[in-house]
Amino acid sequence: MSSLIGFLSLVFAIGINFYLILSRYIFKFKKQRFNFSIRLSSLLTLLSFFSLMYAYVTSDFSNYNVFQNSHSDKPLIYKISGTWGNHEGSMLLWLCMLSIFSFLFSFSKNIENNFQKLTLIIQAFLHILFGLFIVFTSNPFLVNSIFVDEGLGLNPILQDPGLAVHPPILYAGYVGYSIVFSIAIAGLFQNTDDEWLYVAKKWSLISWTFLTGGIALGSYWAYYELGWGGWWFWDPVENISLMPWIAGLALVHSLIMVRGEQAIKKWIVFLSILCFSLSVFGTFLVRSGILTSVHSFAADASRGIFILLIFFIITGFGFLVFLLKEPKKSNNLNLFFINKVSALLINNILMIIATLTILLGTIYPIIIEVLYNKRISVGGPYFNSTVIPIMIPGFLLMSIAPILSWQTNKINNSKKYVLGFIILSILVLIQSYFLDFNTWGFIGLLLGFWIILASIIAIFTSYKIKLNIKFFKIINPHIAHIGVGIAIVGITCSSVFQNELDFNLIEGDEFTVNGKTVLFEKIETTNQINFQALRGKFLYDIEKNLSKKIEAGKNYYPVSKMITSEAGILHQWNKDIYFILGDQKNNEWFVKVLINPFVSFIWLGVIVMMYSGLIAVTRR
Amino acid sequence: MNRIIILTPLVILLIICIFSLTYLLSGKDPNKPPSALLNKDVPSFDSISLYNAKETIKTIDIKNKKTLINFFASWCSPCKIEHPLFFEIRKKYPKLYLLGFNHKDQTADAKKYLEDDGNPYDFVGVDSDGLIALEFGVFGLPETYLINEDGKIIYKYMGPITKDILKNEIEPLL
Repeated sequence: MSSLIGFLSLVFAIGINFYLILSRYIFKFKKQRFNFSIRLSSLLTLLSFFSLMYAYVTSDFSNYNVFQNSHSDKPLIYKISGTWGNHEGSMLLWLCMLSIFSFLFSFSKNIENNFQKLTLIIQAFLHILFGLFIVFTSNPFLVNSIFVDEGLGLNPILQDPGLAVHPPILYAGYVGYSIVFSIAIAGLFQNTDDEWLYVAKKWSLISWTFLTGGIALGSYWAYYELGWGGWWFWDPVENISLMPWIAGLALVHSLIMVRGEQAIKKWIVFLSILCFSLSVFGTFLVRSGILTSVHSFAADASRGIFILLIFFIITGFGFLVFLLKEPKKSNNLNLFFINKVSALLINNILMIIATLTILLGTIYPIIIEVLYNKRISVGGPYFNSTVIPIMIPGFLLMSIAPILSWQTNKINNSKKYVLGFIILSILVLIQSYFLDFNTWGFIGLLLGFWIILASIIAIFTSYKIKLNIKFFKIINPHIAHIGVGIAIVGITCSSVFQNELDFNLIEGDEFTVNGKTVLFEKIETTNQINFQALRGKFLYDIEKNLSKKIEAGKNYYPVSKMITSEAGILHQWNKDIYFILGDQKNNEWFVKVLINPFVSFIWLGVIVMMYSGLIAVTRR
Repeated sequence: MNRIIILTPLVILLIICIFSLTYLLSGKDPNKPPSALLNKDVPSFDSISLYNAKETIKTIDIKNKKTLINFFASWCSPCKIEHPLFFEIRKKYPKLYLLGFNHKDQTADAKKYLEDDGNPYDFVGVDSDGLIALEFGVFGLPETYLINEDGKIIYKYMGPITKDILKNEIEPLL
């Protein structure tokens, strides 16, 4: 029953959107009626999504999708997250997000009536494309042809609280760019005033903040669930989320420039189209099964071709409009040797180069396989040695960019910055002398601390310190950059100064990690609701009374016959001690211990960035 | 000049789409070979026979033999589907060494399964705790690996093999 309701409301929602597009040319709706229709279609899409969720929660195995991906033993949270833990459901979630954004946009004020209408028409067009994709190739409401009383279970690797919320947040970011895209296209068509740029800024900030959160959650999950001790692997799926993120960052920064200049309008439109194109391209790469990863549920060529077509239509349409309706020429940029405009411009160019570099590395294996029928993989070494050096000048620039002037090339208080930089360099040099010297470590630490320091100097010298909301809004760009600085310090320390120790241990053994004695207490197996757990129990720092317990091991999921590794992590503010339980041989267990310094700084940096993203939404 | 710059995204889009489309139409399935183990040495294993605990099989025993390794279990229904194909392989390629690993199974169930459906394997190793499967990176049952004479994994397939797969993908390698 719920499947039927879900399917019908999905079809009706698509129908209404068809009607809306026709309405523009045939029926000529009044504003109220138009808005009513768009909201109705959004609500129907939501209803469709919630009926699927209801089928999951009630373990309605007469729905084929639920049968394939759920199991009645699963805890409630994974029944709910199972809704989007599969291809069909996640596409429905995508459509649902699109509807939510249209819904919210239909309420936004201060926008010219026709402009808002046109934007929503483009949204309706996107809704139809993805809606038809779901109905024809990925219908989550198919009826199960056999009668069963148990499901096949959710991929155990997805049974994790962090991962349960990761897709909706990430999608909110991806799909949020659809509004930015629609606004930009509408802006091209109407080409009236520049009011739409401010609207675009708000929505691109919202999308970017969600995208940041989504990527960070996925990354954090990879860190503790995959058990490899790292948090970023340059996996194709990570790359495709990083591309719209960087392009979105460039977009947000370009939109700041609008205040001063006009000539970059063209550039903004380009970035707006690019961001959403990259989001759709990412969806295509993951959903077509061209790339394998935990995200590709099932490879199906027809799906791939359909979604490639959608990608082609959206991106082609976007760039074609861009070509034909090119924004009017306006006054030239006010470029000095170093002022805010040139700094932002350089930063934009660097970000686009970085995006293209990642794009090349991600699709290169596909090109090679088509041309030479050979499978290669492009991994960390390529990205580390290309993307990071490209970003470094941008990072250097961003430490001082917010205090540069719009018009002149003078930096106030420049002496303080020079002094600060010299002192910092000496400190980092001394620090790296005592630890093993490492070039990347040195550069990373200097860069990270310099961004933080320069931002702090800027806050203290350029503004009157007041503790009210307005002040925090004014210094927000600096806060965002401090967040980046913190993250860079965390990234550098955890990757360059990571320490790995290997042990072969019998139960009861004591061993030394980081100068502290650790006791390998015992191995324990327990039966949980939906899995069997094998845990090695460790006591860290047994000399103290308050020794910490660490559990590392594996889970065995009998329903899907899968084993997942569960790292045991002891979080401390300055380091994570990361235990991985390996295999057993002749009573001896292989135990790997990783010491990851300052990992927490990465997550802290991300939180700061997200905070400032949210603050920026409220600021005009 | 300006036009050319604005045309670039469209050109890039076209190139990306052409390559992706060719890739999709060529019927390549990334689920087949992307195992990290492909072209790597076969992981070391050490197992006993299902029928006789004194008989063992180790990595060294399959040296210089072309070997097909199949992970199966009596509880795995897709395994039952692919099972008859191993008799065909056996008949057609008598030199190929067929090694089955009985994955997380009860000995009695496994024996009964091989009695009912027949035993195509040269050797049935026991992987009761799933450790060998773990080393091979087995994702789900059944899974099939082809190992060449140098002890390198040259082919991997997840899921039950079919006549088409046998004909188009495995036989060319034999």
